[in-house]
Amino acid sequence: MGVIYIGDRETGKTSLALELANPRSNYVKVTYPDYESLKKLLYEDNWEKTKATDANQAIYKRTLEIKVQLASTIRQITLDWEDTPGEIWRSSWQSANQSEWKTFTETILQSQGILLIVPPYREILNPGVDPDDFITEEQWCNRFNRWVDFFRHDCPQVRHLVICLNKADLFCDINKEASQLAYIPHGAKLNWQQRHEYVFQRYFRPLRPQIEQINRSVSGLSVRCFITSIYNRALLELPWVYLGSYLSNN
Amino acid sequence: MGNICVIGPRASGKTTYLAALAYKMRTSKNSQKFNIQPLGDDSREIADKAENIICQGASFEPNKIGGMIKTVDDLPLYSFKIECQNSWFKKPESFYLNVRDYPGEIFEKIADRNQSDSVCEEFIDECLRKDIVGCLILMTAWNQAADSFYSQVMNRFIELMDSHDRTNDLRLAVAMSKCERGELWPGRLDPETDLFRLHLPRTRNTLRDGRIPPQNLRFYAISTFGVLRRTDPRPNRTDEQGKLGKASVLREAPRWQPYNIIEPLYWLGQTTKSQGKVK
Repeated sequence: MGVIYIGDRETGKTSLALELANPRSNYVKVTYPDYESLKKLLYEDNWEKTKATDANQAIYKRTLEIKVQLASTIRQITLDWEDTPGEIWRSSWQSANQSEWKTFTETILQSQGILLIVPPYREILNPGVDPDDFITEEQWCNRFNRWVDFFRHDCPQVRHLVICLNKADLFCDINKEASQLAYIPHGAKLNWQQRHEYVFQRYFRPLRPQIEQINRSVSGLSVRCFITSIYNRALLELPWVYLGSYLSNN
Repeated sequence: MGNICVIGPRASGKTTYLAALAYKMRTSKNSQKFNIQPLGDDSREIADKAENIICQGASFEPNKIGGMIKTVDDLPLYSFKIECQNSWFKKPESFYLNVRDYPGEIFEKIADRNQSDSVCEEFIDECLRKDIVGCLILMTAWNQAADSFYSQVMNRFIELMDSHDRTNDLRLAVAMSKCERGELWPGRLDPETDLFRLHLPRTRNTLRDGRIPPQNLRFYAISTFGVLRRTDPRPNRTDEQGKLGKASVLREAPRWQPYNIIEPLYWLGQTTKSQGKVK
């Protein structure tokens, strides 16, 4: 079984995985490796941020054992966390590293789930966030068109495609959103379909045609949209609980 | 132990139906007449899935040939013990059923005489083996095009039954699934007349053309999600965009009350109870 993280540079893929291992968890607990070992591997103390994933290798295979508390049971699941550097999505990188790119596309074909991490766009940022660090909505949509092509042509067989609009702390009140969206095994305010609708209507509407196109083209379940932030555990865990409902049963 | 196959087109709700059987009956005795107990790992697994996926407002993945499923033996086998309390004065009768959930593409390939798909043939051979007591066939669409397609599939299926020498001893329970839909719900009480004769007349006529003994064929209306309440017959489901048009998810988990889901299996299983005689 494999879940693969993909996304452009600086979208926060490594930070998400590292923070998931933080022992202060609700329903998703990384039992191996422990937080400190992972931090040593991925975190640059001097810079106080995660290390950029080196593009010399297309895929870094790391195994994460995750315990997910589902509504009816708690299960230990093993996930192959396959981290990719953001550079590999550039066509220049792909033509310069053809064998690495081939290895990557072969791996992705076998993966059961894909988490696409996307950054926020300029128009939705909270006041006070420097907009120059982010692309405009139009650029964001254009970039997403390339993701659509990728999913249609390179992984039409993907079973689960989860899109995470990351860095939610920069564009919404994460505590307020978490109080709506949080997973509680019995008695959550919203179910998966309602969570998706809630997030989609608020944050993903510019991508409606693209997401509809992906839904028509890939053979697995419908795309699910999430917002994530390393500063809110409930939001951070949601995509994993969702994936865990399916993957843990295999 | 009776073996039953569940077949039907893609997205007709086969897996969700079996999950509802395993889960709802595990968690509540919602029928005074029937008690069903899931047995074995696969049945317990699908009951867990129902709680973790259906009750949480998500839907099952399509069951497809390829990947994990390469042969019939790769399909999960759901086992149930069914108890039926026919009368307060009698001991409940009980029997065991093994049910296999076939991928939708098998149903769709049946109609194609020229198909030389060995995997599909293997599935059909298994489905028509002598130790299979009955087939539950789920149909879900009710437009003219669907009627034409189902009719072709049923015609071919009966030919295959004949070539496997099963015409006289294989029971067919043909069910309209997802009957919580407003257009179908009122027709549930007499499904042969008010659902099949009305909406799928060609299919019904093909099935009733005399090749299958009438006592071996019954029509059912089932609804895995049911309606909200007795006094509020809105479907307990919501639709979202899915791969094959609409995908349905449960609307209100606390009100989940399936309709008529045990009856077809009970009727199919009665052949076993009566040692091969058709009641």
